[in-house]
Amino acid sequence: MSVNRFSKDSAEIALEKFRTGKLDRRAFLTAMAGLGLAVAIRPGSASAAANEIVICNWGGAALEAFQKAYGAPFTAATGMPVSVDGAGPSTGAIRAMVESKNVIWDVTDGGMVDAVVLGTGGFVEPIDYSIVDKSLVGPDMTAEFGICNYTFANVLAYDVKKTGGKVPAGWADFFDLEKFPGKRTMCKWIQGQLESVLLADGVKPEDMYPLDVDRAFKKLEPLLPQIIFWEGGAQSQQLFRDGEVVMGNVWHTRANLLRKENPEFTWTWAQQLLFSSAWSVPKGNPAGKKVFDFINSSLQPEGQVTLLRLMGNGPSNPKALDLMTDADKAVYPLAPENVATALKIQAAYYAENEAELQNRFLDFISR
Amino acid sequence: MTRFQRWALALTLPAAVLAIGLYVFPILQVLALSFLEPKPGFGNYVSLFGNAAIGRVVRTTVIVSVLTTAITVVLAYVVAFAIVQMRRELRRVALFLVMVPFWISVLVRAFSWITILRRNGVLNTALTQTGLISEPLDLVYNQFGVIIGMVHYMMPFAILLLVANLGDIDRRIIQAARSLGAQPATVFWRVWLPLSLPGISIASLFTIIFSLGFLVTPAILGAGRVLMIAEYISVQISSTLRWGVATALSTLMLVAVGILVAIAMRHPAMRAAFGGGRA
Repeated sequence: MSVNRFSKDSAEIALEKFRTGKLDRRAFLTAMAGLGLAVAIRPGSASAAANEIVICNWGGAALEAFQKAYGAPFTAATGMPVSVDGAGPSTGAIRAMVESKNVIWDVTDGGMVDAVVLGTGGFVEPIDYSIVDKSLVGPDMTAEFGICNYTFANVLAYDVKKTGGKVPAGWADFFDLEKFPGKRTMCKWIQGQLESVLLADGVKPEDMYPLDVDRAFKKLEPLLPQIIFWEGGAQSQQLFRDGEVVMGNVWHTRANLLRKENPEFTWTWAQQLLFSSAWSVPKGNPAGKKVFDFINSSLQPEGQVTLLRLMGNGPSNPKALDLMTDADKAVYPLAPENVATALKIQAAYYAENEAELQNRFLDFISR
Repeated sequence: MTRFQRWALALTLPAAVLAIGLYVFPILQVLALSFLEPKPGFGNYVSLFGNAAIGRVVRTTVIVSVLTTAITVVLAYVVAFAIVQMRRELRRVALFLVMVPFWISVLVRAFSWITILRRNGVLNTALTQTGLISEPLDLVYNQFGVIIGMVHYMMPFAILLLVANLGDIDRRIIQAARSLGAQPATVFWRVWLPLSLPGISIASLFTIIFSLGFLVTPAILGAGRVLMIAEYISVQISSTLRWGVATALSTLMLVAVGILVAIAMRHPAMRAAFGGGRA
C-alpha cells in the first residue's frame, strides 16, 4: 500500500505544480500516466486548466497540420498554448470520458453526425453562439452541438491505366462492371456508401433521404464479390498502390495524396458526396468557455486555407475561396466548379439511423 | 496451515487485490451495463438471440476459430515434434525462429500477409509466372486470408506449449517400445501421440479461446467480408454506442469460454496439463 501512497503523493505534487501554472496540462497528464493514475486524480477546477486548449483528432499527419492551421494562429493571438492529441475522439471514447468525469479534451474533431449523436446523448456542450460567430461558416454548417470546422467528400477515384484512359462519369459507371472491369473499393463505414449505390441506380439527389436501403442492397448484392471494403484512409490508398482495384469510393483527401504520388491515380468530382466535419466540446471540458474563443479563431479563413494546403481538408468559411490559388481550388470540395453535382450527406438522417444502418450494412457485406 | 504456507499465501495477496481491482471489478461493471443499458432488464440478451445478424457473426467466429485451431495445432505439432528431436544448439536456433514473430506487431503481420497474398502479390505473381495458374487466386480479403493470418499468429503459442509437453515425455518409454520391436510409425501412434494428448488439448484450448477474440487480423485480412464477434463488439462500443448489446455479447462470450474451460477440465489429460501431474 505504501507504493500507492507514494504515487498519490507524487501526483499531488504534480497537481500542485499544475495548479500554480508550473506544469502545463500535457506534462501533467504525462506525469499522471507515468504514475498509472490518469483516471484516479484529475485537475477538477476549470480555472486551473484554462491555460491550455487540447484538441483531439485522429492523429497521423493531422497532428501537425491542426497545430499549424488552428493552434498557431490562436496561440499567436491569445498567448494560450494549444496541443493536439491524436487519440481519435470516437463517440464511444467521448462518452466513456464524460461518464467517468475524466475529460481531458476541450474540443474534438468528428463528423457532424457524431456531433448530433453526442448532443442527443448529453455528452457534449452546446456551441456557445454568443462567442462563436455563425456567419463565419457557410449555410447548413451550424448545429446546436457542433459547428463545421472543415468539409470533405467521398469521391470516385480511379486508376487511369486500368480504365484505359476512360473517365467514369459518376457512380453508374462505378458499378458498371462491363464498361470498367476489375475490383472496386468501398468503405465499410456506412455514411456515403448507399448514396453512391442509389445514385448509380438512378435515384435523384432530392429523393435520396430517407435512404431506400432495400433497393441499395438489391443493386449491390451481385457486385459484392468485386468489392473490397476499406476501414481506414491509408488502406484505401494502399489498395490503389497495390494495383488491387480499378476504382474506389474514397475520401477526396486520400485521392489527392494518391494523385500527388502517381498521376495515373485521379478522381472525378462528379456526384461527390459532401460531408461536414464538426468541432464538438465534451461536457466538462477543462478549458471551459475559453474553448469557444478557440473555435471562433479556427473558423478564420487563413488557417483553414493552411489546412487545405497541408491536408486537403476543405475550408468551411466561404471567404477562404478568395485566398485560394487554382491548385487549391482543384482539391476543394466546395469550389464552384467542383460542387455542381454534389450530394450533401444529411447529418440529421444519420444521427437518427446510423447505428441500425451500420449494423445492417456490416451484416450484409459479410454474408 | 504451516508457517511457510501462510507466508506463501500472504505473498500472493497483492496480486489478488490487483486482479480484483483491475480485472474482476471492471468485468462486473460490464456485466451490470448489459442489464442496465439502454433500459434495465434482460432486453439485450433477448435481442441477441432473436437477431439473425448476430447469429451469423457468431457462426463466422466459431467456424474461423475452429478451423484456425485445427490447422494451428496440426502444424504446430509437426514443428514441435521436429524441435524436440533436434540437438540442443539447433533446438535453440529453432526456438528463436519460432519466437521472432512474437516481437512483430500484429498489424505489421497482417499487412505483410496482404503483400504476399494479394492478386498482384508475391505468391500469385510466382504462380502465374511459372504457369501453374492463369488467373490470380483470391487468397485474401476473405475467410481464407483471415485463417492464414490467424494461424500464423497462433503458431508460436501452440509450438511452445507442445514443445514443453513433448520435451517432458520420458524417452526411456520410446526406447522401450523400440527395443520391443515397434516400427517408428507404431511408436508415434501408440506412444508419442497418446502421451502428448495433454499438450495437444491445452494447445487447442488456448488457441480456440484466443481465436474467438481476434480483432485486427480479421478486420484487415477480411476487408469487411469476415465479421467476427470482437469487431462487432468494438463497432457497438466505439461507433454505434450500443453499449448494452456490446456488453451483453461480451458477457456471453465470457460465459462460453468459461464453459469451454470447464468442459475441457473434466478431461483427465487437461487436468493433468494444468495440474502438472501425469495423465
